[in-house]
Amino acid sequence: MLAYIVKRLLVAVPTLLAVLTVVFFFVRIAPGDPALVILGDQASQQALASMRHQLGLDQPLAVQYVDFLGMVLHGDLGTSLVTKQSVWSEVVKVLPFTLSLTVTALAIGVVLGLPLGIIASRHRNGVIDYAARFFSLTGLSFPAFVSAILLLLAFAIELHWFPVISEGRAGDPLSSLRALALPALNLGLIMVAYVMRAARSSMLGVLGEDYIRTARAKGVPARVVIWRHALRNALIPVVTVVGLYLGVLIGNSVLTEVVFNRPGLGKLIVNALNQRDYTMLEGMMVIYAFFIVIVNLLTDLTYGLIDPRVKRQ
Amino acid sequence: MNHRILLIAAGIAGAAILSAAAPARAETVLNIGIAAADLGTLDPHRAATTQDKASIGWMFNGLVRFKPGSMDPEQIEPDLAEKWEASPDQLTWTFHLRKGVQCNSGFGELTSEDVVYSLKRAADPKTSAFSSDYTDMTDVSAIDPYTVQIKFSKHQPSVLGLLTNYQGGNIVCKKAVEKLGEDFRTKAAGTGPFAIAEYNPTQSITLVANKKYFRGAPKIDKIVYRYIQSDASRDLAYSSGEIDLIYGRQDQVWVERMKSQPHTIVDVFGPGELSSIYLNTTSKPLDDIRVREAIAYAVDRAELVKFKGALTARPAVSVVPHGYLGTDEQAPLLPYDVAKAKQLLTEAGYPNGVTVKAIQTQLPTMLNTMQIVQAELKKAGIDLQLEVVDHPTFHAQIRKDLSQVVMYSAARLPVADVYLTQFFHSRSIVGTPTAVTNFSHCAMADKEIDGARAETDLAKQKALWKEAQDKLVKAVCAVPLYEQLQVWAHRDKLDFGYKLDASLTLGPIINEQTTLKQ
Repeated sequence: MLAYIVKRLLVAVPTLLAVLTVVFFFVRIAPGDPALVILGDQASQQALASMRHQLGLDQPLAVQYVDFLGMVLHGDLGTSLVTKQSVWSEVVKVLPFTLSLTVTALAIGVVLGLPLGIIASRHRNGVIDYAARFFSLTGLSFPAFVSAILLLLAFAIELHWFPVISEGRAGDPLSSLRALALPALNLGLIMVAYVMRAARSSMLGVLGEDYIRTARAKGVPARVVIWRHALRNALIPVVTVVGLYLGVLIGNSVLTEVVFNRPGLGKLIVNALNQRDYTMLEGMMVIYAFFIVIVNLLTDLTYGLIDPRVKRQ
Repeated sequence: MNHRILLIAAGIAGAAILSAAAPARAETVLNIGIAAADLGTLDPHRAATTQDKASIGWMFNGLVRFKPGSMDPEQIEPDLAEKWEASPDQLTWTFHLRKGVQCNSGFGELTSEDVVYSLKRAADPKTSAFSSDYTDMTDVSAIDPYTVQIKFSKHQPSVLGLLTNYQGGNIVCKKAVEKLGEDFRTKAAGTGPFAIAEYNPTQSITLVANKKYFRGAPKIDKIVYRYIQSDASRDLAYSSGEIDLIYGRQDQVWVERMKSQPHTIVDVFGPGELSSIYLNTTSKPLDDIRVREAIAYAVDRAELVKFKGALTARPAVSVVPHGYLGTDEQAPLLPYDVAKAKQLLTEAGYPNGVTVKAIQTQLPTMLNTMQIVQAELKKAGIDLQLEVVDHPTFHAQIRKDLSQVVMYSAARLPVADVYLTQFFHSRSIVGTPTAVTNFSHCAMADKEIDGARAETDLAKQKALWKEAQDKLVKAVCAVPLYEQLQVWAHRDKLDFGYKLDASLTLGPIINEQTTLKQ
């Protein structure tokens, strides 16, 4: 098991290097001048040239790439062109916020979505099923930033249960939870929609199988049929969906982060892009790619847990 | 017996809790919401964005300052300098500093050494984004601990303008810069009424009052300046009372909505950022003045102002913004006349219309203007094709001279020389080593611009500036559209302490006179 994990991680290294290279060249070839962004539009050509030199951007591209590769292979992701802080430290600062948001949204999605999907599949074409499918369609179609503002209007402005702007200081768990609630709910409800649909269609497929019919014919109670026989078989596609959307969640979280004014990887990437902060973008893409690798690994391991037939090579 | 001990203990505990919970005097905290993702820099010699300029305005002083609430260069008053003299040729200036001014964050007394260091730093392209303002400043020296002498190689249109609490004129404390190094970006120390206490990345900065401020201790104890990127969230935070001063939108609807909110005062103030369309006079078909005139005749300024909203926008008056020292308020801008535009196009050999291309930023406020201009020009047979790119790309590409038509929005130091030099002097033509923002490639007013710069008599200077504008307008180097004012709003329990007509920091000045009722 450990050997399997280590092997998977080692295989990921060439992937990460490839991502790094592609991102490196793409951002530096794209039009846009970090020096101009940093100094503003009144800076003289001299000042801009001086800044470019300070940022190491006046070197030939190949030289910049080799320098950067050397740094990365020594474990140094470089420093942000704008803040001069190390990329790693900037990411580490926001990582707890992103992880807590993603994990909580995921938990909400699974805890609410899975039972809803199962119930909907059991009462196919009934009222509950239609209601659940309608809700799911709404959740999938709603832009995250619209639902975010609606949540703010409802819970912060009307009910005053939460402040509009909450900083959620690191040392104070209660304020962190308060700051987490609405953003997690926003992303979580979208997750519920996805998980519910996957669970419902998967369960419907399984419930039509022969062995389910046999179990029912044998007189096995409905509850046991669902939870002991059907569920485990139905879970594989659901785990796939969850794994897939976990990656998407990180990227889509930027709109939620912006509306709720919450630090996060999504905002960090988007701001780095707008400021042409090359080193930040490169470092973050590598981290994000690594994150996807981990998620895929966890998904595969989960398959193994659910389905003993899945043989690990 | 036990009961009594318990009661006494409870009583003592209760008293202790109550006394700890009730502070001696409640702190006055002003919560502000600004549209920004994060702090850029607190270094006044580098700050180029609205969010940074606004907060820096509360932290630094210049040798002189614009009267709070004003940007009139004829109303500049003493700040760190109590008085000053100029040599008859106006090339050598001597400033006498106030004594006992303290640098914030414990960096000691401000002396001429700090002023000399700061001005040299502002003039150095390696450390300043505004170094080009000081190219003619040849020498800055400390005559004694409270006297500074500045020498210029050429006559400056406004020496005092260069030394105000604006951009390079903000004085930084030498010891702070040297000690903090890179950290100066987030911990900058000046002499102003407020000093940086804390930076919470992507969330806020907290400024505390400088109790030793030389004009008197501020009545507000703390400012929490919150970076709230999303307009909707910022508005909601204001509605819920979490912020009391909010950066608005240059938008009629926003102003009307805020005006209807209880206890709310909307602030619309200068500078007006002038939006103009710059036409590359060297690029076919714009090299023909009749085509340029046709474009000018086809643009309906009044319609644009109506679209933007009369509460926050006003029509342009000249190729430089209204109210600057030297602005020709009655410049001969071509009026709206579609028939004349069509006629000129026919004369120029384009009876069936003409096509021009523009690289355009996707920034919504600038893009929607150009879309309206595009529709207006179409009526005259001019097809304006917009290549929409993201904002950093736009800025990089227009400076490589890749766009025939450039729509640009800017405000500068309110002296006509700066705007004219940066946008219309041949030295500033894009793609050259001394480039600034002359997208039109115009050079016909060089003589007048240079002449006005060197002119010591104010009346003659203004005449030369007027002539320069006249030439540029007649040559249609640019089609000025409208000016957009700065828009903020605040709860009426906040009183700035002065009348806010304009602020070059792009935000209200918060100083020792500002009060916040609890």
